[in-house]
Amino acid sequence: MSLVDDIEIKNLEEAVGRLSVNGAIYGEIRFHRNRSLNITVMNGVVLGIGRETKEGYGVRSIVSGGLGFASTNNLSKEGLNNALERSLSAARTASRGVKQKVSMSPARLGRASYFIKPKRSFEDEPIDVKISRLIEAYKSLKLSENSFKVSSVNIVYRESVEEKILITSDGALIESRTPRISVFYNISAQYEGKRANRWFQVGGSGGLEILEENRLDKLMNDDIESLYINLVKAKNPPKGVMDVIISPEIVGLAVHESSGHPSEADRILGREAAQAGLSYRTFYKGTRIGSRYVTVVDDPTIPGSYGFYLYDDEGVSARTRYLYKDGELGELLHNRETASIYGTTSNAAARAMDYRSEPIVRMANTYFVPGDYTFDELLEDIKNGVYIKKYMEWNIDDIRWGQRYVGLEAYLIRNGELKEPVRDVAFEVTTREFYTSIDAVGKDLKFYAGTCGKGEPAQGVPVWFGGPHIRLREVRFI
Amino acid sequence: MVWRATYKIKRGEIYMNEFEDVIERAKNIVEPLVDEYILLGTIKDEAMIKLAHGEISVAQSWNDIDLDMYIAKNERIGIYTINVKKLEDDIRKAVSDLEKLEKSPFYAPLPQPSGKSDKEIDPKIKNAVESGDLSFVVEDLELKNIGDAAGMITLSLTNELFLSSTGGKYSSSITKFNGYVRVFKDESSGQWSWTSTKYSLPLAKNAIGIAKELANDCNKLPRTKLEPGAYRVLLGPMIVGNLIEEVARAASAGMVVFGMSFLIGKKPGDEVASEKLTLKDIPLNRELPGFRSYDQEGVGTKNKYIIENGVFKGFLHNSKTAKLLGGETTGNAGWIMPQSFNLEITEGELKSEEAFENLKNGYFLTNNWYTRFQNYLEGTFSTVTRDAAFKVENGKPVACVERARIADSMPRILKSIEGITKERWPIEWWEVGTPTLTPYLLLSGIKLTIPQ
Repeated sequence: MSLVDDIEIKNLEEAVGRLSVNGAIYGEIRFHRNRSLNITVMNGVVLGIGRETKEGYGVRSIVSGGLGFASTNNLSKEGLNNALERSLSAARTASRGVKQKVSMSPARLGRASYFIKPKRSFEDEPIDVKISRLIEAYKSLKLSENSFKVSSVNIVYRESVEEKILITSDGALIESRTPRISVFYNISAQYEGKRANRWFQVGGSGGLEILEENRLDKLMNDDIESLYINLVKAKNPPKGVMDVIISPEIVGLAVHESSGHPSEADRILGREAAQAGLSYRTFYKGTRIGSRYVTVVDDPTIPGSYGFYLYDDEGVSARTRYLYKDGELGELLHNRETASIYGTTSNAAARAMDYRSEPIVRMANTYFVPGDYTFDELLEDIKNGVYIKKYMEWNIDDIRWGQRYVGLEAYLIRNGELKEPVRDVAFEVTTREFYTSIDAVGKDLKFYAGTCGKGEPAQGVPVWFGGPHIRLREVRFI
Repeated sequence: MVWRATYKIKRGEIYMNEFEDVIERAKNIVEPLVDEYILLGTIKDEAMIKLAHGEISVAQSWNDIDLDMYIAKNERIGIYTINVKKLEDDIRKAVSDLEKLEKSPFYAPLPQPSGKSDKEIDPKIKNAVESGDLSFVVEDLELKNIGDAAGMITLSLTNELFLSSTGGKYSSSITKFNGYVRVFKDESSGQWSWTSTKYSLPLAKNAIGIAKELANDCNKLPRTKLEPGAYRVLLGPMIVGNLIEEVARAASAGMVVFGMSFLIGKKPGDEVASEKLTLKDIPLNRELPGFRSYDQEGVGTKNKYIIENGVFKGFLHNSKTAKLLGGETTGNAGWIMPQSFNLEITEGELKSEEAFENLKNGYFLTNNWYTRFQNYLEGTFSTVTRDAAFKVENGKPVACVERARIADSMPRILKSIEGITKERWPIEWWEVGTPTLTPYLLLSGIKLTIPQ
């Protein structure tokens, strides 16, 4: 038997063996189950609830250099057999005329079971108590002040359990169970004909303790205050070249977009070229991307993190990856397929969203490594600048070079002190400008949850991103 | 192998009959326990090849059987996926959940069913997805000669069974042939897409041809960097498809309820766009894969205007948003969020070859990605261009420009439309989730930015 009640490991091992017998130089079967409960609360009242269970087999095989993937949610022997056959057939189709033959790099593969034991399991609290918790958070909100009004507050609570059994033809056997919680909310507000909204997501792996560590009432009230500042207090944004301090939530987003994504080896190799795009690292000349203060890490093994795992979906043991180190370009994120092309070993970046998804190169928890400045020390050297505390818009081009951030809550800095708030302040920089202009890094560290999209069909996987406050010199505001 | 024969017998019509029995059993269990229910069974077979550098990077095949259930009791609402092997347990657990809820402000009685069963099947697609083998597509599209290209081609067959407590009992079967290709020529690239319910080779070959042509045209020209400013702009169908999907999303009454629509506060009759723009939701178009004759509440779908000659015609509703905001369902139900099924911008008067001439001086942008709203309620947003983008002077492309950003406001962009081409393309890809029949749009005063 296995961690998953109704799945027999010996049946999966036997099935993987049949992939090899039928010509696959590599075979892999993953049983993958995602169970979730969703509760949607609109303006303090439950809209409805939902439960979802998605479970099935994802089967990969390599035949004559071609890679095939097939999935089914028919868990019968017949269903699995059919998926095996379709996977082999797909691999044969993929092998037609292929010059860049797919192979898997050698790897030290795990044979292990792990599961996250929450401090407080989902079963400790009945649904009505969970609902009360959300409604109480809503009731605590300060919804108006003179003409400023919060027009809607929507909260989506989601608890989920992901269970996997992975077996590969070259010896990996990994069983895992990961419970997670996420809460997404959107707050809309208006003031004298102006409108703005703020959405935010809390997330982590574990149980109900995540809600106790991330107080929704506090987070939402703080965001209402930000909307108030944006709509009521803030003045027109400055333009031109200025210094800027950006907060951990923007630093986290920036390193995810312009350090993590461009370091994905499959993107560099062009495998995602028509979807999420390429990477500047395909064309970049040189090894330095930023100042010596820049070190960015991706680490799946952070306890409690939203992107937590100990073995990836190819059975490789997870470890910390240094994407940028002291301003130099660092290692790429690899799965076994890309590692084989580069002649290296996988650093365990293969992740699949669900049974319908092939494992592809993904981030887990990406963050800017903290330095030793306090916030006041970051401020004190700025004569004329901006502090951006929260963002409301961002994007980046498809080679992860030109990026843009727009502040929801931001303040002018004059002579080392925070001054009046400014509305919708925006700056655009290239990745090199961003990282080379950093001259001081805070000692704080904060993480944020998100769902990262990539692949075809698109796969959304849970990630954390974060960092400390950092200071950038001479950034152009538009 | 033995299971192949079993599989061939099992799937197809025989399998659908078995699935009907499962849904009938589910109905018998749930009916006495709740006030209202909808059971939605889906059998979907899909196969895809993904390309990188002109080769197949992976071939994929999916078989899924799903049973989803909407239930309401004493005005409490729940939505569930049901495991067909644990039918009774799952349904009873779902019903017991409802007993712990308060009345939902979102609740509205299910409307009377008025849809009909329908099918739009291309046998070639059906046969291909049932075998999971797309090797013939490689031959048909001459992919070995495609050169340095990335992309994806997918074929699918979706069979659906709908059963509701209001007496709705419908089925639909739809095939789909969808793809997009990004062709590279040195430092330049061009990307185009197609989508259809039919295995239309001319459509696919034409899209591949356009992607090649854009890459080649861009590559022949000198490269230049755009200066930030406001410009006359010609947007290609890939970009228009992406932006117009955002407009249709904002027209979903669900986005109004959730406080994420820039059309909030608009009423039918309000002028929201240039009089040249007419945008329709066209679920009854059989050529586009969003074709369907009933929505998720069993209401008959109909083609409808969202914007007609620049005038807003109304929000897309299901029964719940209609009750909440006032109005009637428009046959656009998802169970929670109203949705558009297929979109079209009605054809304009410009001939494609006249578009450059009419642009005179400005930029011709062909593709974009990563559209993000700065402010959902005011409609300010930005999106980043990719692939071929041209600087145009005196009606002629003179340079290929690097990646830039449209950073503007959706309400303003809608009002700045000056011209619409007669020719239109069916687009669906990573950044355009709703099949959309779209022309080129000529706009003025569009704000473009780039990091300096």
